[in-house]
Amino acid sequence: MQVKGSKEIRAGVLDSGLCTGCGACVSLCPYYATHKGKTVMHFSCTREEGRCHAHCPRAEVNLDRISSQFFGEEYSASPFGSYINIHSARAGDKAGVSGFQTAGTVSALIKFALEKGYIDSAVLTKNEEGFGVPFVIDNPGDVEKASGSRYSVSPTVKGVNDAINSGRRKIGAVGTPCQTLAVAQLRGNPLKQEGFTDPIALSIGLFCTWALTASDFTALMKSMGDISTIRKLDIPPPPASSMEIETGNKSYIIPLDDIRKLIPEACSYCHDMTAEFADISVGVYEGKTKQNIAIIRTERGRKIFEEAVNAGYLETEKIPEEAIAPLAAASMNKKKKGLGKLAGANLINSETGHTVIRMKKSTLESILKGGASCC
Amino acid sequence: MLLSKSEGKEFLLMGNQAIARGALEAGVSVAAGYPGTPSSEIIENLASVAPEADLYVEWSVNEKVSLEVAAAGSFAGLRSLCVMKQNGVNVASDFLLHLVLSGTRGGMVLIPCDDPGAISSVNEGESRYFARLMEIPLLEPGDFQEAKDMTKWAFSLSEELGNVVMLRSVTRLSHASGNVKLGALNRTKPAAKFNFSGNLLDAKTGPVITAPVPFRHTQQQGKLKKAAALFETSPFNRYEGPENPELLIITSSACYLYSREALRVLDTEKRAGILKLGTTWPLPPELLKKHLAAAEKVLIVEEVLPFLEENIKILAMENIDSIGKIKFFGKNDGTLPSVNEMNPDYVIKAISSILNIPYTGMPEEYEKSGQILSFTKSPNRELTFCPGCPHRASYWSINRALTLNGENGFVCGDIGCYTMAILPAGFGTIKTAHSMGSGTGVASGFGKLKSFGMNQPVVSVCGDSTFFHAGMPALVNAVHNNSDMLLVILDNSGTAMTGFQPHPGIPSGAAGNELPSVDIEGICRSIGAKTFTADPFNVAETEKKVLEIIENERGPRVLIMRQGCALSPEKKGKKKYNVSVDSNICKGSDCGCNRLCTRVFRCPGLVCDSATGKAMIDEIICAGCGVCADICPSGAIKRSEVAL
Repeated sequence: MQVKGSKEIRAGVLDSGLCTGCGACVSLCPYYATHKGKTVMHFSCTREEGRCHAHCPRAEVNLDRISSQFFGEEYSASPFGSYINIHSARAGDKAGVSGFQTAGTVSALIKFALEKGYIDSAVLTKNEEGFGVPFVIDNPGDVEKASGSRYSVSPTVKGVNDAINSGRRKIGAVGTPCQTLAVAQLRGNPLKQEGFTDPIALSIGLFCTWALTASDFTALMKSMGDISTIRKLDIPPPPASSMEIETGNKSYIIPLDDIRKLIPEACSYCHDMTAEFADISVGVYEGKTKQNIAIIRTERGRKIFEEAVNAGYLETEKIPEEAIAPLAAASMNKKKKGLGKLAGANLINSETGHTVIRMKKSTLESILKGGASCC
Repeated sequence: MLLSKSEGKEFLLMGNQAIARGALEAGVSVAAGYPGTPSSEIIENLASVAPEADLYVEWSVNEKVSLEVAAAGSFAGLRSLCVMKQNGVNVASDFLLHLVLSGTRGGMVLIPCDDPGAISSVNEGESRYFARLMEIPLLEPGDFQEAKDMTKWAFSLSEELGNVVMLRSVTRLSHASGNVKLGALNRTKPAAKFNFSGNLLDAKTGPVITAPVPFRHTQQQGKLKKAAALFETSPFNRYEGPENPELLIITSSACYLYSREALRVLDTEKRAGILKLGTTWPLPPELLKKHLAAAEKVLIVEEVLPFLEENIKILAMENIDSIGKIKFFGKNDGTLPSVNEMNPDYVIKAISSILNIPYTGMPEEYEKSGQILSFTKSPNRELTFCPGCPHRASYWSINRALTLNGENGFVCGDIGCYTMAILPAGFGTIKTAHSMGSGTGVASGFGKLKSFGMNQPVVSVCGDSTFFHAGMPALVNAVHNNSDMLLVILDNSGTAMTGFQPHPGIPSGAAGNELPSVDIEGICRSIGAKTFTADPFNVAETEKKVLEIIENERGPRVLIMRQGCALSPEKKGKKKYNVSVDSNICKGSDCGCNRLCTRVFRCPGLVCDSATGKAMIDEIICAGCGVCADICPSGAIKRSEVAL
């Protein structure tokens, strides 16, 4: 992995439409900032190596190296990446969480991990004037401030950097796949800083098919009225193909095709639906609105998950093979599309210029050759 | 010295002082101008003796108004003076075009000080062409004594002709110093009265108007012919050199000194002669014909454009029968450059090539290595804002707000210290820069391009003095046409760049006298712009405010960033904060900040200690504004308020 500096980030990521707005480069130095879901760079920096480049999920990401680091094996061409097992899950009675749009698994897990001291803080995302902004909590009671799906791009990893800067060393991080990938890179201490200890005690990834350009999405929301009165914002699982919004005393249904126009170009390069470098990945269980699918990937993820179940914070069920087939197909499809687009733009294993991904050539070929198995 | 009665005594005077003394010796009563380098010291000098000498002196809102104010003095029978820098004549030219037609009464002199090479300008405009365009006499002093003497003479010439006379100075005359022998000073206080009840066509007693135009124009051209006749015997035109020179050099102004030096260096004073002209428009034809007839080769030395050259060539062509064929050298044939300042080297090279005199100036190798050394080895001393300058802080906030907004917003600028934001000093924030007030006019235009798909936020910057000078009409235009733009008025409470002259927003006049001030904020509000204010030294709040105004407001908006110039009399030498760097916190070159304070913010009061790689405060020049304490991301820069 070749670590470079902000010059490459500006040219290769920010100005090239590859930035996901994950916030990984923000709060590391005075040069990067985030505003309304967009990452920008103030002035110029001349450092030839920087954490901005080392942590960026769109610059020199070596999938095999990260995979080996966390799972002891190279990146595979499987739909979900490396994992131990998969469950259906939802918040249990002990979690005492309410008001969740879906099954509340993530909130319950964070609350449990905080209460039992597995983590001393958590980085979550909340809504501020229509924009997702990260915030750090130390108190389990604050988990609910973050509840609910949001859809728009948010700089969550900035919150992780803020938590680290403030001295926190047992952080629980919740993020989308690109954010989780940035956190995974950060955990590998790519700049070999002395005295480094992994500050992330639990990484929870969220399934993601795409996000929306924050400013455009907020503008759409605002066109429907006072955004502070939005009570519900949801995309029901297929076959529904619309977004449902309830605001004040009105409700709106917006066709998904209109919503998709707000997807940033950067998302079209994404190859990860299930946040493959998290300890636990959580997302929608198609057809079951009160259930999540949880993919347990690491030993520490398994331990916390099982204890949360035993303590009544989570309720879980075995999940039948056929129930995860649609997710597997969608995930494979996203890999194929995202990596295909990256490869087409010469952004994988590139010898010269900017590279987003480095991975074994045979793995890439096997993914790209696989037939699309869904939609 | 300005009011010294010691006639015949010699003083070392700056060119602009000599001009001021000349005006006083002529009995000037009214002087007006707008500040601009290299002209400002003329009005400043006169202002310094205004009460004592019974003068009325003002810094006017702009050059056009200053010419109108001076003209009023002339119409009332007083001797009046109007001073400006070269581009000021463009501003004043509309009134000038009409003034030359109506004519003047009391002697009236217009003094533009040109800046060849644009040493303190963003143009190297030529005011001389205005004399020809406006059909008025043009005088060009060739040294410091002449600067005084010709100024004095210009007033009586104006009265004799009944029209305004232009006297053109240049930077090297206005700002250099030389010996000047004083003339008599007999100050009286003439009574002012404007007579208008005479015949419509009577220049002395009737109304002062331009109609009937062909009649007045004929009169005006008659005055010019009279001037040409007077110039034939003017002592300010003189020839030095052999009777039949191999080469005749015709020159004027500071170029006369360069030409003399060149002849001396080449030891060719016996072969070449110099016709030094003090009256360059209209040309005295008989004098020119006499000298042209005696030469076959003529070199014309002037700056910047070939003004004399063109006029002399026309005269030579019209009189080819009597003066014969002449080979001309000058700017048109490339012998001399028609940009930048003239200097003795250019003239030496020209003469040596024309006369085939072997001349080895500086060896080429030496010159080249000197250039390389000065480029690579000399410390970087680019133009920058002073320590404690509010503009640096203002641009920091504007630049960051535009970056955060992320929609490719940009800033249109114009003339003042704040122009330097085209450079790293202001983080390259300004993207267009032209004449006074033009940033706001250009922004007013950009702000109407939404219908063509241009969605970039449009910002203009304008200083307080510039706002009064030419920014106000542009803002009115933006408001009236509902242009989507933000004008940021960088109000540092004075005409800072030219030496802190007062302007209409300041409660004092040129002579320090108390005057009512005009409220910028009130003007903007009453024009109808949504108006906000900010203290640029509060960088975080100012950045937030700029961002909010850009994103949440539409239409014509004004944000006044108010903070006095660090060099203003109120602030100079007084620190608000003691500032220091905690070297235990500052990680310098090793910091992820990549030396933000000394590499990007670049206040000259902050230095990077080459031994430790850490930031330090240069306490001698630090102005104590304390802004850098807010810039440092690590909190290594500390400030503590200085007890008053």
